[in-house]
Amino acid sequence: MPPRPPRPRPVDPPTEVIPRVEDEDDYDDDYYDDDDYYDDEDDKPAPPPDSFARKAVRGFGEALITMGLVVLLFVVYEVYVTDLLSAEKQEEATAALDSEWGSNTVTPPPSDPNRQNKLTLIEGKAFAKMYIPIFGNDWKFSVVEGTTDKHLEIGPGHYKDTAQPGEPGNFAIAGHRVGKGAPFNDLDLLQSCNAVVVQTQTQWFVYRVLPMSNEVAGWASNPKSKDPACAGVAPLSTTHGDAYAKTVGQEIVVPTQGEVIAPIPHQVNTTVPPDKQARLLTLTTCHPRFSDRQRLIVHAIETKSYPVADGFVPPEMTEG
Amino acid sequence: MYGWIWRHLPGPLYLRIIEAVVLVAGVVALLMFVVFPWAEPKLPFNNVTTQ
Repeated sequence: MPPRPPRPRPVDPPTEVIPRVEDEDDYDDDYYDDDDYYDDEDDKPAPPPDSFARKAVRGFGEALITMGLVVLLFVVYEVYVTDLLSAEKQEEATAALDSEWGSNTVTPPPSDPNRQNKLTLIEGKAFAKMYIPIFGNDWKFSVVEGTTDKHLEIGPGHYKDTAQPGEPGNFAIAGHRVGKGAPFNDLDLLQSCNAVVVQTQTQWFVYRVLPMSNEVAGWASNPKSKDPACAGVAPLSTTHGDAYAKTVGQEIVVPTQGEVIAPIPHQVNTTVPPDKQARLLTLTTCHPRFSDRQRLIVHAIETKSYPVADGFVPPEMTEG
Repeated sequence: MYGWIWRHLPGPLYLRIIEAVVLVAGVVALLMFVVFPWAEPKLPFNNVTTQ
């Protein structure tokens, strides 16, 4: 294609001379004249002496700017710097756990899964590793004992006095959603049947998120329930009785509702013998993100366990 | 405040710039490693446990 001939430039219309409009005196000339408003004037008037009021106003303005910067810096601290500090602590905890697991002779897991060796849990020390395969295979945290601020800086923390992994009852873990490694940042994205894998020195436990509250009613007819990933997952009210009617995959509660980590969630006063209790996992974090107004709770049930063996990785670890 | 500090920094211009940067870095470090860790638990942002 031949190049197009250049278009002729449009001829500029002749400059129209607009007659100068005289000032109508509807603004105060003096206001502009007695200030150094026009900086490019040749003869700059000397700045007026700093009166007390001028200093006070300037100081106040600078203080406001400073406070704004401090608040911005706090956001940076909360969202990024705490991540760095916590990553280091998490690494130390994991290294300590690894050396502990490596040095001890691994006791063979008990043949009867109902009778497990109790772990000795020491506050602030990691005792298990946690994986959520759907979040990617780089999502792994060492779980420490205790849920104070100090403990949660290291990683997800196990509520003292709740069940241990694999035990009947409620293995409850708290974790940060923003900053401090933010282990539970995406907890709201967990769907029913997603796997949460917990590894102790001797065993792997696979927990799966329970059906959500809107899935409970039609679970049997839900095609999802036929999914192999959902094997062993069913609304607890159908498998473990009415005491579990309120235990669903995800719930949002107020911070004072500690009953969500009870052995049977929401049933603090009901006494059910341990052998009738479901083996639950409960994760708690703050909700909405950046706020502590509520708590996001995820309940899961143990569906499988495997003994730890060299080179063995549960097939659930490759899901997602 | 800032003007006052700038006027009281000793030395020629390039030295003053360096001093100012060091001052800012010092204040940021103080905030990051002392003030914020102290203040954070008192603020209602990041409580994740139930009572």
